[in-house]
Amino acid sequence: MDIKREDIVHLAELSNFSLPEKEIKSLQKDLQGIIKYISQLDELKVDDVEPTYQVFEMENVWREDEILPQEADREALLALTKEAKDNQIKVPKVL
Amino acid sequence: MKYIPTIGIECHVQLCTKTKLFSEVDNDARGKEPNSCVSPVDYALPGMLPRLNGEAIKFAIRAGRAMNCEINASSRFDRKHYFYPDSPKGYQITQFYHPIIGEGYVELPSGTRVRIEHAHLEGDAGKLTHFKDYSLVDLNRVDTPLIEIVSMPDIHSAKDVHDYCKELWRLMCHAGVTNGDLYNGNMRFDVNISVAKEGAKELGTRAEIKNLNSFRSAERAAEFEIKRQTKLLEAGEKVKQETRGWDDTTGKTTAQRSKEEAKDYRYMPEPDIPPINLTSEFIDAEIAKLPLMPMDYRRKFNGVITDEILEVLLDYPSLMIKLNEIEDKHVKIISNLFTSVLLAEEKSAKYLNDLPDTRDLNELAEMNEKKELSSTATKEVFLRLFDPQMKGRGTKQIAKELGLIQENDLEALEKIVDIVLAKPETQKAQADFKAGEEKVIGFLVGQVMKESHGKANPSSVQEILRKKLK
Amino acid sequence: MKIANKKVTAERLVRDALEKAKHFEDYHIFTFLNEEGALKKAREIDKRIARGEKVGRLAGVPYALKDNFLSPEGETTASAHILQGFNSPVTATSVAKLEAEGAIMIGRTNLDAFAHGSSTENSYFGPTLNSHDKQRVAGGSSGGSAVAVALDIVEFATGTDTGGSVRQPASFNGIYGLKPTYGTISRYGVVAMASSTDCIGFFTKTPEDMDLLMSIASGQDPKDMTTLPDYYNTEASAESGDSRLAPSRPSSRGSGAHSAPVVAYGLESPNSCARVGIIKDFDNDSVHPEIRKALKNKVELLKSKGHEIVELEMPALKYGLAAYYILVPAELCSNLSRHDGVRYGFRSEKSKDLDALYENTRNEGFMPENKRRIMIGNFVLSSGFYDAYFLKAAKARTLIVKEYEKAFSKVDFILTPVSPNPAFKLGEKVDDPVAMYLEDVMSVSLNLAGVAGLAIPAGETKEGLPLGLQLVGPRRSDKRLIEFSKELI
Repeated sequence: MDIKREDIVHLAELSNFSLPEKEIKSLQKDLQGIIKYISQLDELKVDDVEPTYQVFEMENVWREDEILPQEADREALLALTKEAKDNQIKVPKVL
Repeated sequence: MKYIPTIGIECHVQLCTKTKLFSEVDNDARGKEPNSCVSPVDYALPGMLPRLNGEAIKFAIRAGRAMNCEINASSRFDRKHYFYPDSPKGYQITQFYHPIIGEGYVELPSGTRVRIEHAHLEGDAGKLTHFKDYSLVDLNRVDTPLIEIVSMPDIHSAKDVHDYCKELWRLMCHAGVTNGDLYNGNMRFDVNISVAKEGAKELGTRAEIKNLNSFRSAERAAEFEIKRQTKLLEAGEKVKQETRGWDDTTGKTTAQRSKEEAKDYRYMPEPDIPPINLTSEFIDAEIAKLPLMPMDYRRKFNGVITDEILEVLLDYPSLMIKLNEIEDKHVKIISNLFTSVLLAEEKSAKYLNDLPDTRDLNELAEMNEKKELSSTATKEVFLRLFDPQMKGRGTKQIAKELGLIQENDLEALEKIVDIVLAKPETQKAQADFKAGEEKVIGFLVGQVMKESHGKANPSSVQEILRKKLK
Repeated sequence: MKIANKKVTAERLVRDALEKAKHFEDYHIFTFLNEEGALKKAREIDKRIARGEKVGRLAGVPYALKDNFLSPEGETTASAHILQGFNSPVTATSVAKLEAEGAIMIGRTNLDAFAHGSSTENSYFGPTLNSHDKQRVAGGSSGGSAVAVALDIVEFATGTDTGGSVRQPASFNGIYGLKPTYGTISRYGVVAMASSTDCIGFFTKTPEDMDLLMSIASGQDPKDMTTLPDYYNTEASAESGDSRLAPSRPSSRGSGAHSAPVVAYGLESPNSCARVGIIKDFDNDSVHPEIRKALKNKVELLKSKGHEIVELEMPALKYGLAAYYILVPAELCSNLSRHDGVRYGFRSEKSKDLDALYENTRNEGFMPENKRRIMIGNFVLSSGFYDAYFLKAAKARTLIVKEYEKAFSKVDFILTPVSPNPAFKLGEKVDDPVAMYLEDVMSVSLNLAGVAGLAIPAGETKEGLPLGLQLVGPRRSDKRLIEFSKELI
């Protein structure tokens, strides 16, 4: 399939990138090539094949419902953010 | 020309597991400091992986069964992608392709059935507080286990919106899967409403009213929206497909994000959690833990308890479980005491989790019927049964200590009557009665009651008096 | 290295390692040198040995940590701008296990940012140079780790292998590199690339060392629901001989390789003879002639030792690369969604509102290759394309899993090239993503199937570039795989 400029713009939105114009151009070229390559699966007839999402024979893996001490507490975690206020993470206003 | 509303409801229920869905931190953040219930997993550090809480699976089975739903033996988790500070991972872990709860239905008190399309497990989002030029993020609520219950568009009135929401709330509370604390958002409702001409083949364009947190606001929002859309159509205008918000104070819904620019969530199977494949033994074991549900109680107590009283009591699962243990012949009086005395008490809230022994309640009813306790005495003893100090002493003992047991021993009563009749101040009344003045008997009975310090059974006293004053 | 018999101290070993690291600075191997921390730990171990206390199986052994493993020692950046300034408060399970045995991390190694790449040229800190030829790439994504071991700076290094990121740099630098069976080593605390194919692995100079590291790092972890119950240490096997890493053991490296191993290599071969498959589909001009020659030599060696060679046809593998470059971008774009500048790492300053914060942080914070893959991932998952790409690739993956099952019903192991070419020139493929991806054509299908693969040294080219091959085994065959690799020395 053909990748147009607006496709790149849309994918950039989904990806949350503010792409400068020249990056849009180069990405359009790169993605065109990559998508052409991966599209070779079109020739594959797999309608009656079950998909595989994990190569892992186990199932029903879960834990007990018990409160346990954690490796890092609030102070250790909030210390990682650029700006904290009143024990919360501060972010610029949401439009 | 008549317009018919068609309504479907999505309900989010916070499960009351001890820990969160994917980490071992406290799941009940009510009244706790911001970000005090957050693990590195909830905070979404790089390299952190979900650690599934098995209890949430069990809760989902019970919740599903409470709504007469199929429980799917095979289910798995998926990722729903969107960027917002309330979603640290950048995706919500939910069940999009293979939910654990399948089709079922909820029957309203009116008998209306609302079909359930499916329900699934997912993690809740965090909380943002907006200020003038910044916002603060609290992740305490992140990945609190939720089940999202999706109904079919089977509702056609604002009243049924209220009744459906309330019945769902009751079902989840009776199933014991949520604290049911609406004030703290334990249950949130999204109402999808469209309106169309009666008999129209196609449904109208729908609007979604998000995040309603009480039955009343859901009902009012529906009422408003039905009117709004009907007006538009009558005016020949179009209803816009959009998400609308409800304002409890203005009593209006207002447009929010319009569906045209709805996000592409790019659902993907969750590769960090192995699939769930439950045996029927496992599922049945959970279902066996369920107590009776509201509909079972309605059938069981039909004719025994009035609908008014029953519908009140159904809001209190612990009272219904207790009532279910009471001897059939005592159910009526005990249910009356629950509503008229217990629920009237301002302390009742904290009593509800620590009810008296069934034996004591049966005995109380027994004594009342045997006239050993007057109705006032019965109420007084009943309340004492909840009193931490008196609890456990047994009904009889408490009644004795309070000296509330009625005197039914006829000989003893005759003695008291004789004493009263010997008193000079009763002579006139006796004479008047003999002269045929019926009503003075009341005065004499009163005198005897006084003499017996209220323990005498008034009706027996009257018999004796009449006998003696023939 | 003989710590136990006091010939050398842990401090000496660590100082030597740090000196070598600095001596080879121009190779851009390390993103962080753990000088203070490493020396402090070394001295503690020396004290304990002096006091005659028991020390771990890796006591005093210097190692290098790929920079996508979380630990409080140094920033964990995954060689990406967007993680700069991230000091992890948590420690990866694998790191904790190594340190518990006394291993000492002397530095964090360079990688393609977020392990996206096959050459370590996509690092925010610039490329790592090949240990044998500074004009050529180290391979990737674990390039720094491979070169650190190949230049003998450390005894071993950690790596992650999502599509060949351990095996390919190992073969580009002439050392051993293991991609274990999926689920063998906990992924907890390792920056995720693609959850369903990511494997933690190691670089070593001998199979014995690899065996020791696996016996330490493998096992089920409650913090990673996709880890398998421990099988590595419970599987019956020969006393796996000596390990350079095990201080107390006498050294007799290479010996016993010829004396028939005690292990039964596969259910089908109760004796010491193995049946080894070679893949016809890979035997063509798309593979560098010297690599094909190296394969033939090893095949002859195996025959000479009485092992049986079986020719296999595995047609489904030709779809491996396309399926891989659909499934992996989908998972990695999802896993990278958490990097938004809100809670940790880099945050673009010039952002007055939230949307700008997201867009600028992610645009400035990711490398071009990260962006390509994230956008491909969003493409194959976006509405309208999911069925045609993601779902289809997931079905192709089923065919590949079955293809390996079929193969392993006929043979105990498979011997193939790791990549079609030896180390290529720096900059040769950076502007051609597809050409770069094609270097992974022989390595990715193992990750899609979850089977084990061990890259082994297989001589050099005329120009002296290392050649590597990979020995592939069924799921949970890791112990036998490492054991059998001694037959190829």
